Amino acid sequence: MIKISELEKIYRTEEVETVALNKLSFEVKEGEFVAVMGPSGCGKSTLLNILGMLDDPDAGSFLFNGIEVAHFNERKRADLRKHNIGFVFQSFNLIDELTVFENVELPLIYTGVKAADRKKRVEAVLDKVQIMHRRNHYPQQLSGGQQQRVAVARAVVNNPKLILADEPTGNLDSSNGNEVMQMLTDLNEQGTTIIMVTHSEHDSRYSHRIIRMLDGQTVTENILV
Amino acid sequence: MIRNYLKVALRNLWRNKTFSLINIIGLATGLCCFILIALYVLDELSYDRFYKNSDRIYRISSDIRFGGAETKYPFTSDMMGQTLKKDYPQVEQYTRIYNSNGSKLLKKGTQFITETRVAHADSTFFDVFSLPAIAGNAHTALYEPNTVVITETTARKYFGNVNNAIGKIIETDDNGKTLYKVTAVIKDIPSNSHFNFDFIFSMKNVNYQWGQYGSHNFHTYLLLKPGITPEAFKKNFDQYTDQYVLPEAKAYLQITSMDEFQQSGNKLEYSLTPLTGIHLYSNRPFELSPGGNIQYVYIFSAVAIFILLIACINFMNLTTARSANRAKEVGVRKVLGTERKNLITQFLSESILTAFISCILAILLAFAIMPLFNSISGKTMSALHIFTPAIIPVLVLLPFAVGLLAGSYPAFFLSSFRPIEVLKGRLSSGRSNGSLRSALVIFQFATSIVLIAGTIIIYRQLHYIQTKNLGYNKDQLLLIENGYALQNKLEAFKQDMLQQPGVVSGTISSYLPIPSSRSDNIFSGEQVIDAKNGFSMQEWVVDYDYLKTLGIELIKGRNFSRDFGTDSNAVILNEATAKTLGYTDPVGQHIYKSGMGPGSAASYTIIGVVKNFHFESLKRDIGMVGLFLGRSTGFVSFKMNAANAPAILKYAEKKWKTYAPEMPFSYQFLDAAFNNVYRSEQRVAKIAITFSVLAILIACLGLFGLATYMAEQRTKEIGIRKVLGASVGNVVTMLSKDFLKLVTIAFCIAAPLAWWAMHNWLQDFAYRINISWWIFGIAGVLALSIALFTISFQAIKAAVANPVAALRSE
Repeated sequence: MIKISELEKIYRTEEVETVALNKLSFEVKEGEFVAVMGPSGCGKSTLLNILGMLDDPDAGSFLFNGIEVAHFNERKRADLRKHNIGFVFQSFNLIDELTVFENVELPLIYTGVKAADRKKRVEAVLDKVQIMHRRNHYPQQLSGGQQQRVAVARAVVNNPKLILADEPTGNLDSSNGNEVMQMLTDLNEQGTTIIMVTHSEHDSRYSHRIIRMLDGQTVTENILV
Repeated sequence: MIRNYLKVALRNLWRNKTFSLINIIGLATGLCCFILIALYVLDELSYDRFYKNSDRIYRISSDIRFGGAETKYPFTSDMMGQTLKKDYPQVEQYTRIYNSNGSKLLKKGTQFITETRVAHADSTFFDVFSLPAIAGNAHTALYEPNTVVITETTARKYFGNVNNAIGKIIETDDNGKTLYKVTAVIKDIPSNSHFNFDFIFSMKNVNYQWGQYGSHNFHTYLLLKPGITPEAFKKNFDQYTDQYVLPEAKAYLQITSMDEFQQSGNKLEYSLTPLTGIHLYSNRPFELSPGGNIQYVYIFSAVAIFILLIACINFMNLTTARSANRAKEVGVRKVLGTERKNLITQFLSESILTAFISCILAILLAFAIMPLFNSISGKTMSALHIFTPAIIPVLVLLPFAVGLLAGSYPAFFLSSFRPIEVLKGRLSSGRSNGSLRSALVIFQFATSIVLIAGTIIIYRQLHYIQTKNLGYNKDQLLLIENGYALQNKLEAFKQDMLQQPGVVSGTISSYLPIPSSRSDNIFSGEQVIDAKNGFSMQEWVVDYDYLKTLGIELIKGRNFSRDFGTDSNAVILNEATAKTLGYTDPVGQHIYKSGMGPGSAASYTIIGVVKNFHFESLKRDIGMVGLFLGRSTGFVSFKMNAANAPAILKYAEKKWKTYAPEMPFSYQFLDAAFNNVYRSEQRVAKIAITFSVLAILIACLGLFGLATYMAEQRTKEIGIRKVLGASVGNVVTMLSKDFLKLVTIAFCIAAPLAWWAMHNWLQDFAYRINISWWIFGIAGVLALSIALFTISFQAIKAAVANPVAALRSE
């Protein structure tokens, strides 16, 4: 599904050049659950942004379902992204001014799904993450665990082929964290590919494979399954 | 403590340069408008207040209707002033002004020049109006005939200096040639006086049939004794009318009482106009100078206040919108033990400091654009007017007032934050007071839309006036003034001109459809004229070529013709008069002009009827006018081809100089003279457009600030939305929608308001445009597009930003 080779990303300021990704190469097959680990500043987030098509690489190749997307323009990337990729963030990134329902509905609006259809799908997914009873609440009125469940619901509502999770349990206590990890596992079992950046060895054990990074390069790959 | 406040305030201004700039520029512009308009309004209100007894001086005005429409004159008869003084002890003094022509030819050296600021006045003129003399004794100066009082500037112009002037002789063209001796020199009359003369000649030289009560031709002023109210004195007018006007009217009309006169639908009513109200309230035809208008004073005052409010609202909006950024500071200060009132003082000192800086900028700005403002407003104010005693306290207090007005809400709002919530970041980002901010934005845009719509309507009305079919053709008509100066060579001059290529036709007449000579008389369709069948009609003396030259259309009968020997007893009427007479075919019928005593009415044969033409301002209905064949030599007018105009003018001047080398050659074009009639409306249009542009600019400045702030506040949200697939268009729409909603609401409020205001303004015009809906459409769309343009700049900037950066800044 994803094949990156010789991927490079360099951040420049006036004085310093920081190499975030240094000729990074790996492959993720459809249906895989991959954890990316490594110390702070090793390039995990940069990698995730490029995989999520939020950022473009300076060099190298990025094949998504066999299509070269490394040099796609903003509009094409946005189009590919909204139909194929869901995001889960450490800090949830829900919009404070929108209700739970409206937050989850957002990706469907941007992909042009009709209102009646949207309602059905949002309700179904809210049911699945067991937050239906709080559909009209605002994010600030929910606990962290509940907020992250909403965020997961928002990530999957469009039935993406790929979910990118950035430290999804980082802001949660262990029981809430486990719940979220279980949800991701369930989604993976239903066929969604998942790439997750994490610091937690515990969480990484939910994955099939761990890619360990250091200074923008892959150090090791452990296959768990 | 105050130093600490000022220090923090200055640093805050410096740190947030964009917001400070928006605040200061907005406030400075608003204040500058306010200062300029305030000066304008104060100047308008100051008219005629400098006379010592200005509160006791009244002008007698007369409302007269005879047959046709009512006319409001600023005139009385020649006898009225002296009769009132003789009969009523309440009158301390009276004086009359007479300026029938409005201009005279005066000899300076060997050349005659046209002086327009001239009048004849009674010797009591200076007893009523306290105009100080700097040479001679003004109070006795006009007692003798052939005397004249001149102003300081005029004395310098004619005689080099003031002391030289006394006893000198001035030659005028009155009755061919009349000499006047300068008996006093007065200080120049201040520009804020409703009359402005350079020469005041003795009344005794006016060639007039003295002793009349019925003919109204004199501006008469009464100085009432202290304690006499005009309301009380006015009651005497009925008695005066019965005692003096009625007996004289009986000689012309078959009437027995004033009641009978009035029952026939006629009117003769006198009133007292306070001297200080003439400029702004009177506004009658034939005033001594074109007056101001209290309505405009109100409108401009409102505009000044609204512009200042818009600027203050920017300040309030931006400051409260940025409250989240200041919240942490408030929290820390509170935790450290600052009391609320100290915080309020701190925030207020910030806003007062901002207002103070803005005020200084505004004064500098006012200085810079004063000449421009003068040219727009038609005033001659010096920028130094800003520092007159009346304004200085205002200038000192203004920064405090504006600072308090604009700063109090933010100050109370910011200082009310609870420290714990603020420090824990629980304050939702400045949205809590969004509804007030929305209301303020609505207010700003409603004001702007009213101004835009108003401006469009004023311009359309002016355009309507300029392009309306006036019933005559005002284009390419050259008017050469003072035709009488050529005396018996005038006809030769006209013939010479007609030989020139490009000159189509020419006519000699003092009566033109612009401010020029007017004379009316009592006419009737019956030989015995009474209150019922009599009417007052303009009596215009014209020549054979008048209709042709002015392009006035004859709809019945014929023009004057040399083929008919009897045309000196013929008259051509306008439609309005024909309609009043009621004949199905008026041609061949007779009308009669009243004369002294029964049976003395003169008879005229109606030979033609012309289509109605607008001979007065379009503010008035078309009245009755009759054209009579004769000689009146005020103007020689030529219809010509535009292409030949320069050559024709050159030739005219050359010819003029050969016929009358001492006489000034002066000319105007009819269309320009016509436009002059609407100068005050044109002025208002210019002022309106200037200030609506400014109001919009200031409102947009605030909107820009708010949009910047909103985009900043919603960076994270925008980032999330983009990650979820929002396009740039989605984000721009989202950011703009809220503002556009506000502008739409503003439109709904503004449209009826603007309609109402402009409907009232248009009532001034007898001939006016309809207010069509699309004017509001344009105003609304314009405001909307300007708002959209302002917002989209920020919105697009926010929308194209990389979402990664927004999301990382957690």
